[in-house]
Amino acid sequence: MRRTLSLLIGLLAATSALASFGAFPGARADDALSFPVLVPLTGFLSLEGTSQRNGAVLALKQTPAGIAIASEVVDTGTSPEAAVTALERAAGSGRVGAVAASMLGTQMLAMLPLAQELKLPLVTVSGTASITEQGNPWVFRFFPGDAVTKSAHARYVVEELGKRQPAVIYQTTAYGQSGKAHLDAAFKALGVTPVFEEGVDPAAKDLLPVLTKALAAKPDVLVLHLHSGPTALLLKQAASSGVTVPIVAGSAMHQPSTAALLEPAELKGVCAETAASPVSGGTPEVEAFTDAYRAAFGKEPDAFALGQYDGMTMVLEAVKAGARSPDAIRKALAAGTFQGLAMTYRSDGKGNMAHSAVIVCYDGTSRVPALVKRYDDPTLAAK
Amino acid sequence: MAALQLLVNGLALGAAYALVALGFVLVLNATSAVNFAQGDLVMAGGLLAVALAPLIPLPGIVLLPAVLVLMAGLGLLLALAAYLPLRRRPPVSVFISTIAVGIILQNGAAILFGPEPRAAPPLIVDDTLHVGGLALPVQSLAIIAVAALLIGAQQWVFARTQLGRRLRATAQDPEMARACGVPVTAMILVTFAIAAACAGAAGLLLANRYFVTPTSGGDLILKAYIAVTIGGWGSVPGAVVGALLIALFEVGVSSVLSYPVALGALYLTLLAILVLRPQGLFGEAVRRRG
Repeated sequence: MRRTLSLLIGLLAATSALASFGAFPGARADDALSFPVLVPLTGFLSLEGTSQRNGAVLALKQTPAGIAIASEVVDTGTSPEAAVTALERAAGSGRVGAVAASMLGTQMLAMLPLAQELKLPLVTVSGTASITEQGNPWVFRFFPGDAVTKSAHARYVVEELGKRQPAVIYQTTAYGQSGKAHLDAAFKALGVTPVFEEGVDPAAKDLLPVLTKALAAKPDVLVLHLHSGPTALLLKQAASSGVTVPIVAGSAMHQPSTAALLEPAELKGVCAETAASPVSGGTPEVEAFTDAYRAAFGKEPDAFALGQYDGMTMVLEAVKAGARSPDAIRKALAAGTFQGLAMTYRSDGKGNMAHSAVIVCYDGTSRVPALVKRYDDPTLAAK
Repeated sequence: MAALQLLVNGLALGAAYALVALGFVLVLNATSAVNFAQGDLVMAGGLLAVALAPLIPLPGIVLLPAVLVLMAGLGLLLALAAYLPLRRRPPVSVFISTIAVGIILQNGAAILFGPEPRAAPPLIVDDTLHVGGLALPVQSLAIIAVAALLIGAQQWVFARTQLGRRLRATAQDPEMARACGVPVTAMILVTFAIAAACAGAAGLLLANRYFVTPTSGGDLILKAYIAVTIGGWGSVPGAVVGALLIALFEVGVSSVLSYPVALGALYLTLLAILVLRPQGLFGEAVRRRG
């Protein structure tokens, strides 16, 4: 029995290790400046975590001249303990400049005290609002928080579409609750009260019940704040039920993997908020990034990949400018302004670097959305 | 009209859940072991259909036999690796080993397919039937038909064939069956194969409408466990009824109340059944002799 259990545990470890193997081999040199990538590659956030890893890995290929850069990718899974262990291990292996840190909020919250103790900047695309509310100067978020994206979401619905009776369907997870709270605040600021609001569990297999109830409330627009799978499921069911009410979804919709689950016709007229949509192009630089990403990973990039790419690129810019220690990199991130591919980044004093959001819409002929509206600091105007 | 549409969706979901629960209860009956990899086998079946779709560009119904055979093979491997070497050990050993196999399957799927949600091909066509004011997805109707056919075929095998009698004998009393000349180990292997084939079929049925990811098996094992507890620990009809009840709560009750309330009501119902009828709706009461 022992032998069998040992074999199973060995296999378990092997598959976990293989699943978390990074695309960046990271041959570490002792004199190199190291940028560990500690992200969730297995578990419920593996899709977004993989995008995060890929963005970081692609950015770290831009080695500044004359400087040796090293990196290793570590899978943090979904537990806070695994993230803390990964950070401790990374800190003890070489000269660390900054860390590309997990987008999972609970892992970030666990890593923050240790990062402060170790004096290591954490560069992340986590959306959890509280990570920049801890008074911790070592965290930098290169993805707009819900306050920004949900303001853009609500403003597009009200100001651009002219809708004033939204039905809000959100996820019952922490992500969903946070987004719903910010949507409520944004709609309130715009003088709009949703006619229907309901949370759905991510495990819900059939969303026709909630869709039926939402439509019974006679909304003039459906506002979604759901994860990738449920977003696609609801849109599929809406299309098959012949729903004609416009739909403005959350950022999960912009992910190419979400659109891939639907036929272009099922996407017709659907819009979504997001930080960026690299596959939509927009500038030659973004298109070059998208081409490089496809070549490196054989996948389509999303906003998480681009956000992490921009974050690590800003770190490398600081290194190019002479920053050679974690504290020098931290100071550069805290005080600088950086024109990234997705937007212009600057800290608000708390580590929130991203303050823009875009709206993308699908025309029903392809799975690539078009950028239709950009909001810079949308919360300021909504107040 | 809406109620009828919801009923069809609920039945489709319940039918697929029933296949999952059926596989779960078959292994439970034959081995007294809880196979916690059953949900991950559903995921494996879904991803297998996704992998086969480009090779055999035909509707899912044509892929189904291939999925059943391949998943039956995976079930045999599961029995050989995670059950047979531990069968004489405390039940917790098998419990842990099947969890381990589930994690191996999840990570294996993540390596091979990546973390993206994927959709298997539709069973027949990805279309909607419009009957009067009703919009009925063909896939939902096909799920109900295929699941009913598979469950019926399985019941026929168990009730009417020599193999079925041997399987039932093994499930009821392995030692007595062995004494009567039944090849118990072979029957256990067949049971694991059938259970995995059921899971694979459920995976194929669910993965078109509800998508599949490497981690999507976790919810399903919980639902199978609840279905078996409601229906009666070890009862085959109970597992089917329990699965249909779960779908009724998920689709029916949530259309009147909200999904979180429906889920709460389901767990309260489960609790009430455990208190008032511990053996489940179809289970047999077992009394201890004092």
